[in-house]
Amino acid sequence: MTKIEITSLHKTYPNTRIPVLQDFNLSINAGEMVTLLGPSGSGKSTVLKIIAGIEQPNSGDIRFDGETILNIEPNKRGAVLMFQKSYLFPFLNVEENIGFGLKMQGVSPETIQAEVKRMLKLIGLPGIEKRKVGQLSGGEGQRVALARALVTQPKLLMLDEPLSSLDTSVRLNLQAAIREIQRELGITTIFVTHDLSEAMAMSDRMAILLDGEVTAYDKPETLFHRPPCVRSAKFVGVDLFLEGESSGGWLEAVGVGRVRLKDESKVGRSVFAIRPEHIRIQKEEKENSLMGVVQSCLFRGEALEVLVRIGNVMTRARLPMPAPMFAHGENVFVQLPAEHLFEVAA
Amino acid sequence: MKYLVRALLYVVLVAPLALFIVYSFTEGWFFPAPFPSEWTTTTFQRTMDDPRTLGGMWQGFVIAVIVSLLSLILAFPAARALGLRQFRGRQIAWLMLFLPTVVPPLAIGMGLNILFLRVGLAGTIMGVSLAHLISTLPYTVFTLSSAFARYDENYEHQALALGANPMQIFFNITLRMMTPSLVVATLFAFLVSWSQYLLTLLIGGGKIITLPVLLFTAASGGNPSTIAIKSLLFILPPALVIAFTARELNRHGNEIREQY
Repeated sequence: MTKIEITSLHKTYPNTRIPVLQDFNLSINAGEMVTLLGPSGSGKSTVLKIIAGIEQPNSGDIRFDGETILNIEPNKRGAVLMFQKSYLFPFLNVEENIGFGLKMQGVSPETIQAEVKRMLKLIGLPGIEKRKVGQLSGGEGQRVALARALVTQPKLLMLDEPLSSLDTSVRLNLQAAIREIQRELGITTIFVTHDLSEAMAMSDRMAILLDGEVTAYDKPETLFHRPPCVRSAKFVGVDLFLEGESSGGWLEAVGVGRVRLKDESKVGRSVFAIRPEHIRIQKEEKENSLMGVVQSCLFRGEALEVLVRIGNVMTRARLPMPAPMFAHGENVFVQLPAEHLFEVAA
Repeated sequence: MKYLVRALLYVVLVAPLALFIVYSFTEGWFFPAPFPSEWTTTTFQRTMDDPRTLGGMWQGFVIAVIVSLLSLILAFPAARALGLRQFRGRQIAWLMLFLPTVVPPLAIGMGLNILFLRVGLAGTIMGVSLAHLISTLPYTVFTLSSAFARYDENYEHQALALGANPMQIFFNITLRMMTPSLVVATLFAFLVSWSQYLLTLLIGGGKIITLPVLLFTAASGGNPSTIAIKSLLFILPPALVIAFTARELNRHGNEIREQY
């Protein structure tokens, strides 16, 4: 099990002016599974490519158990990368694909054969050694690619959106399988995705990466319920931010109105946020309610999504089902329970 | 209808060959005679007994093999850069590589002849092979670069991440992925070199005799039987090479396609 430390990583691609990574820092405990969550172009894949040695950083350091790896040849770093596409070599069968890394290291054919068999059992596809890779389904292909990555017993396993091209059912199945295998083998893992629910399901800790820098890094439940800043909060689905002066347990939110706070000692300029699941839409006034007008009401199955305008601010509320439908233009009271309002950095 | 088209295609392709075969074993078959009046193997025997015939074939074959190998070695890195990378001056590099296809070979040959005479390459197999490279390189670069334009470098990145060193990646991944295109490029180089007449004549200076040189001499001699025999010998190696590689190429192409 390997501890990974990435410090002050900077990367700007040639012929571009905007850096892909700026002051990227991340510390991963041995055996931990960390998710890098961010939109496309945020620099997630670049981090993995730099660790794998496919790209070179402009500055910064990457350490495995305290030792820098940047001056080690890429193929000797022990950091295995698995891409979105399985990239199984089309001219090799399943067994030869899984055994590729071991063969390159000069491991004996007998050992390779035994290891491949063990790996196929681990990924739940025993007995497909001789199958051509073109005959595998998308999910099977990714499982074989995972086995190929794991067979070399890497210090760090890096998964670059490996499930994003798969059907939902296969994806959910593989999420559980990857998590289980990772726990069983205890391999330090970085999982890259742009899917919030996938990130939360897969990780011990998750880092939100926006415009090349980590804006938040914590346990999934903490980041989901208490994101530290506006940018991170927006990325985890928060879209009501109340900015204004607070004093005596009240916030005078610009463009919205007076809102009661739980923390009475809060004084001065601040920004508060609330998750859409915690906003209540009611027909009669209750504590900490603001007047609002319904803009749209969408049935989402497990929740009712109501788009509502408060003053000159537009926000979304997700009401648990069963909930009454609201008409377009209907006047309502938007309740913001004080216990669910949390402060975020601007 | 499909069978009719197929049959017509065979006739168009095979009829001239059949005519060559008939001509090879006749003498004095001239218009308006509908069929040859006399069948003989004399001309065939005489042509095959002439040491220049097999010697020409052998020399042409050796030169074509050398040219194919050199073309691949030189074209591979150029094609990779042109197909995979965007860089300043890329269009100019393309143009430079394709220039030999538009410049008349006579102009190139005359200039090269003087140069090769000075450096002692004129009249040698290596000299002729180097001269042939001018004609073959544009075709090999073009074939390989269009294959590289569709090539996904992530297969190499994947191999690197799995612990393969650059040499292992080249031999185990790059060459394997590029095999169909490499075979096609080799075929092009081989065929262009095998059928090269003018540059062989100019640089070979009469010392290097290949089959096209003999064929041209025979053509100016006007004996239809000799022309027919030499023409058959001329198309034999390329036809065999294509016949043997087509099946393998098709199989390999399907394997790669399955993956994409």
